[in-house]
Amino acid sequence: MSSPRRDDLLGELFRNPLDPGYAAAAARRGDASPPKSGRWLTAAAMLAIGFLLAVAYHQVVAAAPGTTKARADLVADVQARQRTADDLQRRAAELRTQVDQARDDAVGDADSAARLKALAAGTGTSKVTGDGASVRVVDAPPQVDPVTGRAAAENLGLVTDRDLQDIANGLWQAGAEAVAVNGQRLTATGTIRAAGGVILVDFRPVTSPYEVTAIGPPGLADSFGSSGTAKRFKRYIEEYRMQFSVKKRTNLTLAAAAEPPLRYARTPSPTPSGGPTR
Amino acid sequence: MIAVIALAIGVAAGIFIEPSVPLGLQPYLPIAVVAALDAVFGGVRAKLDGIFDDKQFVVSFVSNVLVAGLIVYLGDKLGVGGQLSTGVVVVLGVRIFGNVAAIRRHLFRA
Repeated sequence: MSSPRRDDLLGELFRNPLDPGYAAAAARRGDASPPKSGRWLTAAAMLAIGFLLAVAYHQVVAAAPGTTKARADLVADVQARQRTADDLQRRAAELRTQVDQARDDAVGDADSAARLKALAAGTGTSKVTGDGASVRVVDAPPQVDPVTGRAAAENLGLVTDRDLQDIANGLWQAGAEAVAVNGQRLTATGTIRAAGGVILVDFRPVTSPYEVTAIGPPGLADSFGSSGTAKRFKRYIEEYRMQFSVKKRTNLTLAAAAEPPLRYARTPSPTPSGGPTR
Repeated sequence: MIAVIALAIGVAAGIFIEPSVPLGLQPYLPIAVVAALDAVFGGVRAKLDGIFDDKQFVVSFVSNVLVAGLIVYLGDKLGVGGQLSTGVVVVLGVRIFGNVAAIRRHLFRA
């Protein structure tokens, strides 16, 4: 270490941060008590400092970018609506069980009720449980340039709607009786499409990681795993660093799909004859 | 004691009055705050050292704020506003840290 130099400005600053004026004033004053009039001067200065701090705080809050505020508002809005949607979904499930119960009571005939239940399970309009398989596909992480550290503009390892369609079809082919993508149950009229870079299952967006669950025969995972679709995805793992895995699962529960809305058809008002009306 | 009450009143006044800062003065606000903090911590340390002086405190506060503002103004006019502001913040920041360390030693003996 070199000895401290007198003209070392920063060093001097570090060693002796207090304004030398205080020591000088104290020395000048000697033992005499400080004059009282100065107190009010100090109070005025402190008042000004407090005012300054509050104003600066206000300024910072007011200058918070409007976009941040708008974004926070939007996030809160989305969360509130998600909560509402969850509540509605829970209510829908409750009502569905009630409807099922009422229908079973109304049908009375045990045979028809069982048949109805089987049909509902098959078409996807009721909740089903059972053993099966789950297929997990995850987007490849973006290619990062090792020199610049920037992500490549194009990522070839993104899962597309077509991939999910192939997996779902492969699972059906392997004997699956119920299939769901990220919890969205697929039905005969269900769709897997892409819009604006987002994959939509029945018009609801799903995001990576994608989990396609299916209930089917005991060998579902194995027979899907050895299918052509699975082999193709295993190749994608090496080529595009996509993640893909097939797992055997037990005790899966797949939620019911939404009832398809009828836009044009109406149930006829009860006619006495019950026959077709002209 | 009077000083602390005055500070609280100042903050309260700033919060309730909600003054709008003219656009021309806005760049000076952050520097003024740092300069004011430097004066306050210097004053607190002097108080703990037993050498507090009212006149010295007021003069150091006013001159700190004025000089800091002047430097920012000059920097703006010369086109090196950012760098000069950084210099002000570094110098005042170092002093604030040193004074706070001294205050800490006084209060906690550590």
